[in-house]
Amino acid sequence: MKKEKRLFLAIATILSLAFGIVPTANAMHVMEGYLPGTHCLIWGVLCIPVLVWGFMSIKKTLEHNKNTITLLAMAGAFVFVLSSLKIPSVTGSCSHMTGTGLGALLFGPAAVSVLGIIVLLFQAILLAHGGLTTLGANTFSMAVAGPFITFGVYVILKKLKVNKMVSVFLAAFLGDLLTYCVTSFQLAFAYPSEVGGVMASAVKFLGVFAPTQLPLAVVEGILTVVIIIGLESFAKPELRAIGFIKEDK
Amino acid sequence: MIVIDKLCYLSKLRYVNPIEKFAFAVLTLIFLVVSRSIAMGVMVLILNGYLTVRLGGIPSRRYVHLMVVPLTFIVLSILAIIINISKVPLEAFAIPVGSYYITSGWDNIMRCLQLVVTAMSSVSCLYFLALNTTMTDILGVMRKLYCPKLMCELMLLIYRFIFVLLDTAYHIKTAQTARLGYGTYKKSLNDFSSLVQTLFIRSMKKSNALYDSMEARGYDGEINVLEENYPISKRNVLLITLFESALLLMVIWIKLKG
Repeated sequence: MKKEKRLFLAIATILSLAFGIVPTANAMHVMEGYLPGTHCLIWGVLCIPVLVWGFMSIKKTLEHNKNTITLLAMAGAFVFVLSSLKIPSVTGSCSHMTGTGLGALLFGPAAVSVLGIIVLLFQAILLAHGGLTTLGANTFSMAVAGPFITFGVYVILKKLKVNKMVSVFLAAFLGDLLTYCVTSFQLAFAYPSEVGGVMASAVKFLGVFAPTQLPLAVVEGILTVVIIIGLESFAKPELRAIGFIKEDK
Repeated sequence: MIVIDKLCYLSKLRYVNPIEKFAFAVLTLIFLVVSRSIAMGVMVLILNGYLTVRLGGIPSRRYVHLMVVPLTFIVLSILAIIINISKVPLEAFAIPVGSYYITSGWDNIMRCLQLVVTAMSSVSCLYFLALNTTMTDILGVMRKLYCPKLMCELMLLIYRFIFVLLDTAYHIKTAQTARLGYGTYKKSLNDFSSLVQTLFIRSMKKSNALYDSMEARGYDGEINVLEENYPISKRNVLLITLFESALLLMVIWIKLKG
């Protein structure tokens, strides 16, 4: 009985500690100086092809209509502000949206990858979320992997004629989830476990961040759906301007 | 609204040449991340604290608060590194749970200590740059480092828009709360969504208005701005060169040793 009590107490302490820290939690930015030098370089190099592609596509759009530049800048600022707003969260603490999911749905993944790296740089310098050396790793997880999955899932489900609300929810939810998984693996590659190596370490990182990230992914999914529905009902011309709604009625 | 942005305009080191500050912060950061030495980390941490709080004049309470920001991440991720679940107990500590142990070895704990020191000192480098250099100056440095022109222009515009949108969001939120918004959980989800929707429409409108006004002032594809000129101080350059070469030697020594 005594032993059980002690175990219970230990679990309760750990849980309350975990949730006690949560209030300051933000989306999963790998902090400055966390990754070894080689890892920083590798993740950075992995992002380059996508960034170049995004950069080229932006340049091409700008040649056709110049006024896209203010629109793109606004989109970048929108993603930044979105990720700095506190969202209502289940655990009573506050957390932040990733923002890049909604951004990818609205503006397309290529543009969001370039905007993403700028936003991450600003987040590092203005908010101390993430860092300069880990910019590559963060860009890979938040501005490349997440948005691409979000957009991919959305396009595939749209082709399969799944209900729009369901597809938007799944796209945002999976994009968020993937960001969290990729970050956990990035950490695990840098710090493989003494027992069991990279995989064991990845499981541990996934487990540690799960209490904050899983509810966040669900909430972000729901919010994205509600936002998209709202926008479709009263911002049709704007959505058409950015190419979210293609077919005219 | 953004604390760091506000503080860097008050810093006493604000008018020091931004290239000097940028070089100091980034080179130190790179050496720290490459060497991951505890001694160097502690040294840099103290030096940056001195530079930012004493010379920069950032209130020390603010500085400590800011240093605590990344703490969640570090605590959670260290937890994941320290805790191992295995059938064999390791040397540092082992708590039995059923037939398994929650356990860890000394190497692991040393590695964590190294990680915390490196991460915190790197954060202090980042803060040195962020708290003493305004964003416009950092953009100026990036322009000199041959960052693509389009990228620089986008950054300039985004930086401007962030404050416009934050302000808008702040006012919308105040209006919502004044009308009893965010009462229940379901309501707060709805209210948050309508905030984002309105923000989106406003930002679209503002971006169009801005383009019109830019074109009215002769915008033809590039934004040209005048930059402030900061004198280069020979003393600072000398000190930074000495310090960075000392760090470089330390890094080489550490790497050769093991």
